Amino acid sequence: MEKPRVAIFDFAGCEGCQLQIINLEEEILVLLQLVDVVEWREGMSHQSSSYDIAIVEGSITRPEDAERLRSIRRQAKWLIALGSCATHGGVNKLRHLLDFDIAAEQVYGEAASQTHLQSEHVRAINEVVDVDSYVFGCPIDAREFAKVVKAIVFGKRPEIPEYPVCVECKLQGIICRYEYGEVCVGPLTRAGCDARCPSAGFRCFGCRGLLEDANVEAAREVMDRYGKTTDELEARMALFNTL
Amino acid sequence: MSTVKMEESQLLEWVDKLIALQRVIGVQEKQDHFVYDTLRSASDLRLDHDVTYLPPVKFLFPQREQLIDFKLDEGYESRIESEPFVLLGVHPYDVVAISQMDAIYSTGHEDQHYMSRRRNATIIACDVETPSKNTFAGYMGTATVKEGFDVLLTRIESEYIAEAGSEKGEALLTLVSEGVTSATADHLARREEVWRNNVDKMKQQELKVDPRDWPALLQASYSDPIWEAQANLCFSCGGCNLVCGTCACFDVQDQLNWDLREGTRSRVCDACMVRGFMQVAGGHDFQSQRGMRYRHRFFRKGSYIPERFGFVACTGCGRCTSACVSDIANPVKLYNTLLERHPEVFAHRAEEPAPTQAQETKAPTSVFTLYPTKGWVSKKEGERRDIYLPELATLVRSNPITPTETFYQFSLDSGRALGHEPGQFVMISVMGYGEAPFSITSPPRDDDTFDMVIRKVGTVTTALANLQRGDKVGVRGPFGTAFPVYDELLHKDLVIVAGGLGIVPVRSVILYVLSHREDFGRLTIAYGMRTPSERLFVDDLRRFRREPGVTLLETVDRTEGRWTGSVGPVTTVLPEIGPVTSNTRAIVCGPPVMYRFVLSDLLAMGMPEDHIFLSLERRMKCGLGKCGHCQIHGLYACQDGPVLKYSQLVGLQEAL
Ligand code: SF4
Ligand code: SF4
Ligand code: FES
Repeated sequence: MEKPRVAIFDFAGCEGCQLQIINLEEEILVLLQLVDVVEWREGMSHQSSSYDIAIVEGSITRPEDAERLRSIRRQAKWLIALGSCATHGGVNKLRHLLDFDIAAEQVYGEAASQTHLQSEHVRAINEVVDVDSYVFGCPIDAREFAKVVKAIVFGKRPEIPEYPVCVECKLQGIICRYEYGEVCVGPLTRAGCDARCPSAGFRCFGCRGLLEDANVEAAREVMDRYGKTTDELEARMALFNTL
Repeated sequence: MSTVKMEESQLLEWVDKLIALQRVIGVQEKQDHFVYDTLRSASDLRLDHDVTYLPPVKFLFPQREQLIDFKLDEGYESRIESEPFVLLGVHPYDVVAISQMDAIYSTGHEDQHYMSRRRNATIIACDVETPSKNTFAGYMGTATVKEGFDVLLTRIESEYIAEAGSEKGEALLTLVSEGVTSATADHLARREEVWRNNVDKMKQQELKVDPRDWPALLQASYSDPIWEAQANLCFSCGGCNLVCGTCACFDVQDQLNWDLREGTRSRVCDACMVRGFMQVAGGHDFQSQRGMRYRHRFFRKGSYIPERFGFVACTGCGRCTSACVSDIANPVKLYNTLLERHPEVFAHRAEEPAPTQAQETKAPTSVFTLYPTKGWVSKKEGERRDIYLPELATLVRSNPITPTETFYQFSLDSGRALGHEPGQFVMISVMGYGEAPFSITSPPRDDDTFDMVIRKVGTVTTALANLQRGDKVGVRGPFGTAFPVYDELLHKDLVIVAGGLGIVPVRSVILYVLSHREDFGRLTIAYGMRTPSERLFVDDLRRFRREPGVTLLETVDRTEGRWTGSVGPVTTVLPEIGPVTSNTRAIVCGPPVMYRFVLSDLLAMGMPEDHIFLSLERRMKCGLGKCGHCQIHGLYACQDGPVLKYSQLVGLQEAL
């Protein structure tokens, strides 16, 4: 079997997801023998322009980025969106809550007017091009990333859960944050992280995005039961732009 | 069997001895809740717990367990690992839940993965000291138990009574320290008192419907809008399933190791409340709406399992009530509401004389009327085998017959004949990709080969399409019911109506009939396809057309090329099947949408419901009545089906 060539690209994001790949555990490093990494700014210097699998991290915020992404798409047989910024805009989309100039000034201060800091509406990768697979999360889970790549190399569609994080809490016997009176967005959020936050004693922050059939209406109605307001729920949902 | 009394200190001493001997999983406190976990010291034990977050059955039927190891191109090996262990602190309602699981996993085909753990488990039950706020076990007959444990502990003030319920328990009790004495008559009388009190104590939620009436009440409420209304608040999170002591459904998944050469097949606890639980490979979801799934959970526990096994699959622990963020999972609230909405179900009872005092106190206090009284039906050592272990088969040949469908012939490596009857199915595994059900398209044969025609729609079918001649697959089966060509269909005039891929299983019947021509009357085949080029088995069709006594009626939804035949759904050609007599039997097989129309036409032509046979597709995961994925009301498509008489399905709204 010829090794698939893999290229990794980044757009607007913190590069934390790529860092997760670098941190892959030894066991999973075997995986890297199954592919040829031909382009990766973060992990190597040698670059190539021919690849089978493109892994894209970050959101699209400028016209030139959209253009670059389109050309990546044209060359890739399989395109993977890596991490929340790429899969659904992630924290970058928080900016939409504010007027752009104000947001820019808050972040960059006086430098805000410099041209390379100009950006437009934030878009997830799939708002610009077709995406074949998603690796959700902020940051991504290295094991899940490896699982997705493994599946693709093996010729199997990666199985990403389409059920709430609560499933993974209950499978592990993690005591629900609602029992402690916290507003958790797990019931609305796609599982696959093994309930990472609840298992560490935190509520779910929703980094893997809203489920396709998320029952947001139910969540609003349920707030009353816990003496919470829908504002509190919405504030929690805003972080990963699942509102 | 002995019954002893121990001081608390003697009990702790005894538990520490057990810990030195075996793994003891006991109730402990964790983050303001109670959980079962490996006990390091008797001092961590909390026999005063109200309820544990997850039920103890998770140590018999774990959330995830490896069933099989495989090596690509080499084969499969069962993985049955289990060591003796003690479950300590099990409340009566959970003892009952475990007996129910025993029944499900040992009836019919014994599940070795579950049963080996079960045989290794010693259950030390304890009577409830503190009731949990959501319990209604007192109404369910599960507040106390007389069977199903190896040892039962009951606290009486500062002392404990320990009664052995089995040889295993008896052996453990020999470990108690010197000075422990037999319980006196007075102790036993006081224990009776505890049991009586516990029945009342375990009625924290007031249930107004006797569990024996649940099935009838559910039947009357099937079309009630309440299911959908309640489910509007449902997150489809499966929480209510996954904390339940009697939820037994599972999914099966293959994992490949990082080397892409070896892997394991595991099962994971599944939840019927989660979207896609009943979705078949083609995409159709038999329970696509939240309300359907919400209703299914209650029906499975309150009607389908009782129908099949004779017990209500709820023990009143109240865990689902606590687990549901939306507070819609509580069975007490649901049944009380159903009762209010359907008073007619029990209206006739008002006329019966009120129960006397004596009868009232006889309200269910024990498990014996409603629940399995025996543990498992034990199989002899030699009869035990891993029902999930596939046998190897080799791809003899395969050829694409349309752009999406491929014909496959396999032969079993053991050399045995598959031994199927027309209409049955097998589970085919492609290592690393998974396992899926497929119907057999060849007639029964004496040699070791069998044929299938498979459409490429999902992971397993895509993997099949990539196989080369000589490649190995795994096979389990044949499973399920068949078209009764050996009895009910003998000497009958047959009308076969097939739509789309529905031709695949019925081809097995057709070929059988053609090779036993003298055993059957006229054969009429109505076959509908989307387009002429998508028709399957064109060579066979040509041959059927020439056979004496055979009429082939074909139709396509959309014409193309030089098609001169009929255009329209398969019902278009039904008028041509000729007169229906008492000697006619129909076989119908096709996609879900086809059935309704074909059946109503056949009935209109005067065909009785029990002269029509059909084959149903479901998302079978086990093929053996365990995984719960193929449930159609009280039926299992894998056991009672896939071939069913239409008369069996009348009134079953989820069937078609
Ligand atoms: S902690 Fe959050 S994710 Fe976990 S079960 Fe509770 S609501 Fe669901
Ligand atoms: S009923 Fe409650 S616990 Fe069950 S799936 Fe729905 S929201 Fe989850
Ligand atoms: S119960 Fe598992 S397939 Fe029928």
